[in-house]
This record gives sequence, structure tokens and C-alpha cells, in this order.
Amino acid sequence: MNQNQPDEQIFFNDPALDRAFGVVMALATEVYVLKDRQTALERILSRNGLLDLELLDAEPSEEERLNSKSDREQFVYHLMQSLTGKQVSKG
Amino acid sequence: MNRSAIINKRAFSAAQDFILSTKTFWTIEIFSQLDKEKQTEEIEKTTTYKFFAWLERHLQRYKYSGRYGIYNFYNQQHEKIKSPPKNHKNLKLDPSIKLPKYYTQIDIHQHPGGLSKDKTAGYVYEHGARSTTPLGVRNHQDLHHRFTNSILASGNPKKILDMACGFGKSTQPFYKKIPEAKIIGIDLSEPCLTLGSSIARKDQASNVTYMQVNAEKTNFKNKQFDLVTSTMLLHELPPKSIKNIISEAHRILKPGGKMVHLDFYLLPDRFKRFIHFGHSKRNNEPYMVSFAKMDITGILKTLGFSNITIEPFEEADGVLDPEYQAWRFPWTLISAEKQ
Ligand SMILES: C[S@@+](CC[C@H](N)C(=O)[O-])C[C@H]1O[C@@H](n2cnc3c(N)ncnc32)[C@H](O)[C@@H]1O
Repeated sequence: MNQNQPDEQIFFNDPALDRAFGVVMALATEVYVLKDRQTALERILSRNGLLDLELLDAEPSEEERLNSKSDREQFVYHLMQSLTGKQVSKG
Repeated sequence: MNRSAIINKRAFSAAQDFILSTKTFWTIEIFSQLDKEKQTEEIEKTTTYKFFAWLERHLQRYKYSGRYGIYNFYNQQHEKIKSPPKNHKNLKLDPSIKLPKYYTQIDIHQHPGGLSKDKTAGYVYEHGARSTTPLGVRNHQDLHHRFTNSILASGNPKKILDMACGFGKSTQPFYKKIPEAKIIGIDLSEPCLTLGSSIARKDQASNVTYMQVNAEKTNFKNKQFDLVTSTMLLHELPPKSIKNIISEAHRILKPGGKMVHLDFYLLPDRFKRFIHFGHSKRNNEPYMVSFAKMDITGILKTLGFSNITIEPFEEADGVLDPEYQAWRFPWTLISAEKQ
């Protein structure tokens, strides 16, 4: 990026929020693009008889939920860890 | 570019739809949360206003720039995009044209690079214009047709000049509705004019010509047009250029001829001024403010125009209703007659 670009306008009391909210909006766009693609993919697969949409939409069994529990917990841990404000490595 | 780096049409369309839906939410839900009764300094302090302002600036940025921006989408296909042919008889380009400073200095409404040169600029502008008015006017075309209809209600002119026609969105309703009239569209932007010329060919319109001419100083002879129009031009110009344009229109109009501009002008209260002037800053349209402060009636009178009217323009059904709560531009119709 060009260092000579003028500074972006600031709207919040803390400019950090201006910048961070930009990241949030970019992520939200990315999520919507993915969601749209997945829906399209499911529609095409099911139209071609390669996917049972009803099966996909059905409530997961107790066993399935248990099987994904550890993955889910690791996901949450990774997501939330920064909020503790604690250093991970010694220093 | 490898395949995964290229934004495919589905992803582009989904991202742009997302941005537009967010803008619609902003237009209705966020705008209506601002307390119009408060002093503007008080409004500015509220968290809602800060998000309002942030979104106004940055949704427009995301629309044009960044990975899913219109600019990137057309420019990643830069090699593939062919400019429409430039040698058609409905197109007169001027390679030696001098572009004014106000035109090249700023990326107006955050369109990177503006409209002046790049061959993709016409497509980028055309794509962007599909959602200039996010709410109510789902069909943006409606706006230009309404404008044309409001003029033709008092009779069909024979010779028309559309100043700053862009890619012809404002010119098309005229050449379609009055096939027997002769219509000329002028603009500074070569890519926009070229696109306009190719659209006119597809429309099989033989009554329109697009020319690369500065509206401030044209080469048209005195007293030859029945009607001179512009849409969304004046707010992009410094006051001196606005005066030049109005006096140029006066020179080339026949006596009894009409001049009509559609633009953003009437700001009847403090809150509307506050919102519009904020928009000017946030959307990179610096001359909106000086234009809104000009005494247009005075200028028109001095130049010898009569039957001057300056009134709000209803760009979609119901928007002038006092109950209408959503954000909108201060659309204004400025018309006058040459004595
Ligand atoms: C917002 S666009 C409006 C285009 C069109 N009238 C419409 O309604 O879609 C403004 C246009 O003004 C043109 N423009 C700006 N200054 C001009 C000038 N001095 N002479 C001719 N065109 C000019 C720009 O190139 C751009 O196409």
C-alpha cells in the first residue's frame, strides 16, 4: 500500500474502533459470500440427486453432537482466549 | 491471476447484494434513529450518529474498492474488457480535451481513479449507478424517466443538449421518447461516452450523438437548442464552473428555450443541511456544500432567465410526504426560460 495515501476519516472517539469495525464488515461480507456459495452448492447437488437436503437439515443425533463436541470446544477456546488478557508464552 | 484469486461473478454479486442490503438498513433503520430535534452538535456526539457516519463512508468504500469492489471486479478482467468501438458516427471524441482540475483531483464519490481515462471506468460507473438511490427507487432508471416526463409534459422540444450525460442514462429517455428530436449528449469522460454510444447502437437510436466536450465552454453556435438539461452535474463543480455552465446554456438556447437541471440543492432545515454537508465530506464530493449555498435564482435573473422555478423533485412515489422517514438526497429541479 502507498504510504502517501491520506489518512482515513475518523468517526469514533477511539480511532481503533474505526479500524476494527472495518475488519468486522469485511469479515461479514466474506461470511455472506460463503453462505451464498454453500446454498448454491447444496441446490446444485440436490438437483442432481447427489444430496439429500432433508437429511442435511434434520436435527443431529445425540451421537453426532457428542462426536463434534471436542472440536466445538477447541473452536470456542481459540475464539475466546484473547479475552482473558493473559500471556500464553513465558516472558 | 490464478483462478482462486479471481472474484467470480457469484461471489461479486453476493458481496454487492450484501453491501446494498446493509445500505438499505442504514437508510431506514439507522437514519431514523437520529434525533432530528436535537442540536447538530448533540447529534454528532451520539454513538448512533458515529455508526451512521462510519457506515455512510465505508459502505461506499466497500462498494467500489477492495476485494469485492466494483473497481476490482472490472479491473481484474482488464485485459479481457474491450472498449466498445470508437469510430461510430454517433460518437465524437476529442483526444486533445483538457480536463479541469476539479475533475481529476478527487475521486468523486470514492470511485478510484474517477471517470477520466481508464477503459473500465464507464463499466464501473454504470454498475455503481444501478444502486445510487438504495431505497424506494429499486429501479433507478425510474428517476431519469420521471425527470424526462416532467419536462415533456409541456411539449416536445426539437433539439436537446444533455450536459454531462455520463454513459447516457439521462439521455436515453429523451431519445427513446421523442424519436423525431435531435439529441446531443456531452461529457468529459471518454470511457462513459464510448459506452453510451454503444448502448445507443444497441437501442438502434439514430437521433442521438455523444460528444466529448466541456459543458463550461462548448463550440455550439448561439441560439440553437430548445432544451438544455443536466442531471447530477452541478453539485460536482466549483461555483465558478457552475456559473460558466449556466451562462453557456443561456448562450446556446433559442429565445423561449428551456434549461432544466436536476440536482441536490434545496435544504430547508438545519438537520437536512447537517446530513447533506456531512455526506459531502464522507463521500468525497467537496463541491456539494458550495453549490447548496449559491444564490442560483440571483444568477439566473442576472443572466436574463425568466420563469425561474426551484422546487423539490419526487424521485420516487411518496418520498416528499412529511411522514417519509428514510434517508434521501435533496433532489431539486431547477428550471428557467431564456427570454
Ligand atoms: C454523476 S454523473 C451524471 C451522469 C448522467 N447525467 C446521469 O444522470 O447518469 C456526472 C457527470 O458529469 C461529467 N462532468 C463533470 N464535469 C463536466 C464538465 N465540465 N463538462 C461535461 N461533463 C462534465 C462527469 O464526467 C460525469 O459523467
